[in-house]
Amino acid sequence: MASAKRKRTDDEGETSTPRKLRTRAPYDDQSDELEAAPEVQTPSRKTRAHQIVENETPKSILKKTGLANGANVATPKSQRRLVFATPTKSAQDETPNGTRTLVRNADRSARRKSNRRLIERTINGVDSDEETLDEEETLAQQILSDAEEDDEAAAGAQEELAVPDTPSKRGRGRPKGSGAGKVGRPRKQRSPTPPQDLPSHEEYFWQNRPGGAKTSNNTLPSGILLNHDEYFQAMQAYQDRHEPEKNFLLELHSRAFDQWIFELEEGFNICLYGYGSKRTIVDQFVAHLYQHLTECAHYKGSKKTPAVVVVNGYTSGTTVKDILATIASIAIPSKLKMPNQPASLLAYILDYLSESPPPHPIPIIVNSIDTPQLRKSPTPSMLATLASSPHINLICTVDTPSFPLLWDVGLKALYQFLFHDTTTFAPYDAEIDIVESVNDLLGRSGRRIGGRDGVGFVLRSLPENARSLFKILVEEQLGLLLTDDGADFDQDDMPATVRNKKIIAAKHTSSESAQGVEYRVLYHKAVEEFVCSSEVGFRTLLKEFHDHQMVESRKDAMGTERLWIPFRQEELEGLAEDLAGDAF
Amino acid sequence: MSETEHQKCYIYAPPLPEERASKRQRTSKSNPQKHLPERLQTYRKIWSHQEEKIQATLEEADRVTQEKIVNFVSVASQPEPEHRQVSAIPTGLVIAGPSIASHGPFFERLGRRIRDDTNSAYFVLTSGESPNLKTLLKNLIKKATSRVDDDDDDDLGRPSTSSKNGPKLLDFDLGHLQEWQSRNRVQSIVVTIQDSEAFDASILIEIVDLFYSWLDRLPFVLLFGIATSSESFEDRLSGKSLRYLEGQKFDVTQSSEIIEKLFSATVASTDIPLRIGPNLSRRILERQRDHVQNVQDFSNGLKYAYMSHFYANHTSIFLDENVSFEHLSSDMFEAVRILPSFRRWVEGMLEEGQTQEVRQLLQSDQFLFENIIHLVKSGHETLSALSIASTVFTNVRESLQMSPDVPLSSIWTRAASGEMIGSPLLRETMLLIKKIPSDKLVQLLTSMEDLDTASFTIDINAYRHELADLVKRNVNSTPLRSQHDVRNDSLRTTVVAQKVLLSKHKAALSEQDKAYSELVARFHDELDDYFTSTFINPRGLILSEILIYDLKSPHTEVFQPRPRFAIERALASPHDYLGCECCGADLGENGEVSLSGTQPSTAILYQMYLESGALINVSDLWSAFRAIAGDEEEESESKTMALFQRSLAELRYLGLVKPSKKKTDHIAKTMWKGL
Repeated sequence: MASAKRKRTDDEGETSTPRKLRTRAPYDDQSDELEAAPEVQTPSRKTRAHQIVENETPKSILKKTGLANGANVATPKSQRRLVFATPTKSAQDETPNGTRTLVRNADRSARRKSNRRLIERTINGVDSDEETLDEEETLAQQILSDAEEDDEAAAGAQEELAVPDTPSKRGRGRPKGSGAGKVGRPRKQRSPTPPQDLPSHEEYFWQNRPGGAKTSNNTLPSGILLNHDEYFQAMQAYQDRHEPEKNFLLELHSRAFDQWIFELEEGFNICLYGYGSKRTIVDQFVAHLYQHLTECAHYKGSKKTPAVVVVNGYTSGTTVKDILATIASIAIPSKLKMPNQPASLLAYILDYLSESPPPHPIPIIVNSIDTPQLRKSPTPSMLATLASSPHINLICTVDTPSFPLLWDVGLKALYQFLFHDTTTFAPYDAEIDIVESVNDLLGRSGRRIGGRDGVGFVLRSLPENARSLFKILVEEQLGLLLTDDGADFDQDDMPATVRNKKIIAAKHTSSESAQGVEYRVLYHKAVEEFVCSSEVGFRTLLKEFHDHQMVESRKDAMGTERLWIPFRQEELEGLAEDLAGDAF
Repeated sequence: MSETEHQKCYIYAPPLPEERASKRQRTSKSNPQKHLPERLQTYRKIWSHQEEKIQATLEEADRVTQEKIVNFVSVASQPEPEHRQVSAIPTGLVIAGPSIASHGPFFERLGRRIRDDTNSAYFVLTSGESPNLKTLLKNLIKKATSRVDDDDDDDLGRPSTSSKNGPKLLDFDLGHLQEWQSRNRVQSIVVTIQDSEAFDASILIEIVDLFYSWLDRLPFVLLFGIATSSESFEDRLSGKSLRYLEGQKFDVTQSSEIIEKLFSATVASTDIPLRIGPNLSRRILERQRDHVQNVQDFSNGLKYAYMSHFYANHTSIFLDENVSFEHLSSDMFEAVRILPSFRRWVEGMLEEGQTQEVRQLLQSDQFLFENIIHLVKSGHETLSALSIASTVFTNVRESLQMSPDVPLSSIWTRAASGEMIGSPLLRETMLLIKKIPSDKLVQLLTSMEDLDTASFTIDINAYRHELADLVKRNVNSTPLRSQHDVRNDSLRTTVVAQKVLLSKHKAALSEQDKAYSELVARFHDELDDYFTSTFINPRGLILSEILIYDLKSPHTEVFQPRPRFAIERALASPHDYLGCECCGADLGENGEVSLSGTQPSTAILYQMYLESGALINVSDLWSAFRAIAGDEEEESESKTMALFQRSLAELRYLGLVKPSKKKTDHIAKTMWKGL
């Protein structure tokens, strides 16, 4: 604020030349004429220009229409560290507004303005007292708003000064050209650029503010995502440039192996965390541990070998029962009969171990102990009880960043973990089914059954009425999509106005709820078309689709069940054609 | 590898032996851990002493409470069941305090004692294993029947056991327990509800009702572990069930008190070869106070400090009492010679011109060895003296009942960091001693007599005798006062030239008071000298590196990891971990590492993720990613896409994004960096 004021006075001194005043004069005249209604003063052309600018300004850094569609729109620049390949100069920047800024600056002084106005009025003659009063108010308002604009401009200028070596970067705040002609109180509008360097909690609130999430409507072209074969083919050819560094990291971690063994011997359990798959490091450690155990006295000269249990927690379907059964298979002689229930099996194992202790604690390795299947209620506490036994050594890895929340104080006391950061940067090849995970993330799980061809394959093996039901579902879903799309089409044509934004918002909510076909509706359609005669029959048909993951169902906000085929519109259209053409 | 990576569980099978052989040779060639076995042996010896102390302290800490509970149980089961009037279930409300982690061990110790001292069966039930009444009863019966005879184990899976007559019992029927009781004839069946707060109130009520109805056949005694208060426990039960209970309350020693006891037994005790430093002890205590409140954790922290010292510090071998010169390699002595405190010592000697000795220290291992042994010994003595002085000081403050109640742990920590001399705490205490009246001095001296006086230099007995004489001669009923006592001062106001002058005036002291003042002054001076000589800065000790372990580094990470920070850092600035030339070289304008295509793909995507809003358009994310990670050629696009998919899947796996149904091809952000 202070600097802005100083700047203004400087400007006043510099620019008080008669020429400048003359440049300003016509504009003043215009404003004089319209002073009764200040809002109308803004030439409409300028308003539109401003709006266009607003439209083009990226709301999010990810909204890169230009790059994605190859249109010649200005490339939105990263606001911070992103350095993009094509530094295109924004069109607005090229507006030669240098002189106009000067003019504006010249008129900034409030005193100067009011003086000029007074002079003009004395020349024209005073009209009436009432009008004067009115005029004074308008004047004050005008000056106030000008001052506000001034501050903004000054702030923008300052920011631009701060980054002089990136000329392609557009200054923050409003583009200068857009605000130039604006008189009257400017509408408080959000700066499209996110504020910088916010503390993370502020950033959270900023990004979650109502209406804050403005993203483009771009969608990924169908077929751009790789399927399994393509993915593995591409990955085989890929050479990681950081291979030596990653190997070095592994080497660094492996230096701690002896320390870990010492810690295990002292009754602690070990938990490895950090970014990257820790399977390699764990495998190496197991080999090392195995070697170490073989050398200990118990196995010298005997044919016995130490047994190390390895559990892959990320494998779907891993249960605590599997773990316990594997432990029991090495800890307890096979002639003994063991209880079936996991809880009693655990108690049995622990009892057995404390009665006839093994020569050394049994090492148990659990890869990814924080996966959803091992998080469910009794599992962590059972694992903790297991780990608390002095005859068990637990070495586990965790992948998620918030894993400490999984264990309360009691469990933590049982686990007796020592934590080690083993960041490896290794890809989670075994842990995640990458293609599947991305498809699921984007709601394209339909690709799972092999797309259209897969659906065709399944449908061919199903009875006629199943095919008819699927056809009804496809048609219904397409119908819904088309009505949605209509709105989409309208909106693209219209210029962005406030009203339109509301429509968009409304449309989003409607499309969310309208996703999929209502169960009831589908059932009645099916009955009408004699596809099935009872709900049981309907269910049986649907179950087949569910089993092949051709149909997904979900309860919406109202609690009604909705069904849909997890395909995109183009694919659905293809399907509909195939179905209609009796391809199956 | 690949065949095992998708198996659920398997037993490790080593690869073929020939690959192994080469690796082993490499490790044995250069052995960086010479004397490690000896050091670890020393560690085990020293730690086992500490562990004994910890166990003894723990047993001692809740001995009284446990005895009370055991008595209660045995009294409750006194009358023979036939004559017993079925009035109410004897119930013990064990207020175990808020540190739930220590409840388990407490009830375990209690169970051991109850089983040993009384003829009772003892079963602990936790909320985790008792989601409803049926499961609770099943568990109870299982525990009772399988604990005693193993042949019952076979029946666990089956719904019923052989009942001599009548219909088969369901496996949650207390009839099983009755049958078991008829065979074992225990005096009482103690059922402990370990975490009563975590139980559903309805289950508690049902248990009480059910147990009450069985009370004529089964001699139940209930124990409830309570973390809050007995009042809030009673509030949860209905009036009817409360009538079935006959309660008695037991207070367990709070874990903070136990920690204090443990601290004085393990850290601030006298005969400890290795001490943890002030920073570490402060850290452990803070963690106890603010986060865990768990006795086990305290002892683990201490244990890990010992482990680290003996594992990583080569010179720790000198802490072994039986270390002999012949067994040590010259590397050990080289290691000692580079210790900072050794260098300081040698430099100090040089300044004093003791060049001959310095030369010998640097050249002769034998001479150095003798010196080390001597120094370690004297270091031990100094540190013990420091510990005793802390205990004395705490004691003085306690018996003077000084207002801020400073525990020994904090006094010791301050003393060990060399902050005691000149501290307000010490000054204040010494001032109070100057003013001490005779009755309090008697108390103080009595309390000081109980202390371990091995290195305590002041002759307390002499003072006591002298004081006793003085008190005997004192005819007045009021205690003797020293000359610094405020009650011997009086203020005199005089008005001189309209100004008020305040002047202190000493009241005339009686003969006995004078003698007493002299005694107090002597005592004060001697105590002052004692504190000054013992409260040294231990870090100034020669070879303090051997005697004190005070490193923050592995300790904090190992017990209080920051996994989220680690992952965010790895992704936001991968250079920190990888240390490669390509990614860290070009620093951005603000000194931050800028996003470059050479970074690991997930890191690139993560940094874009950081800059995006709460909702992310994947299509736009892909274009941005391609612009940075991809190269110009068209054919490599599938490679870039593969990387993109992998990175996206990893972000999801780490829990950073989730699917969003708001818009097509959008994902929702779930984590904000640093939050």
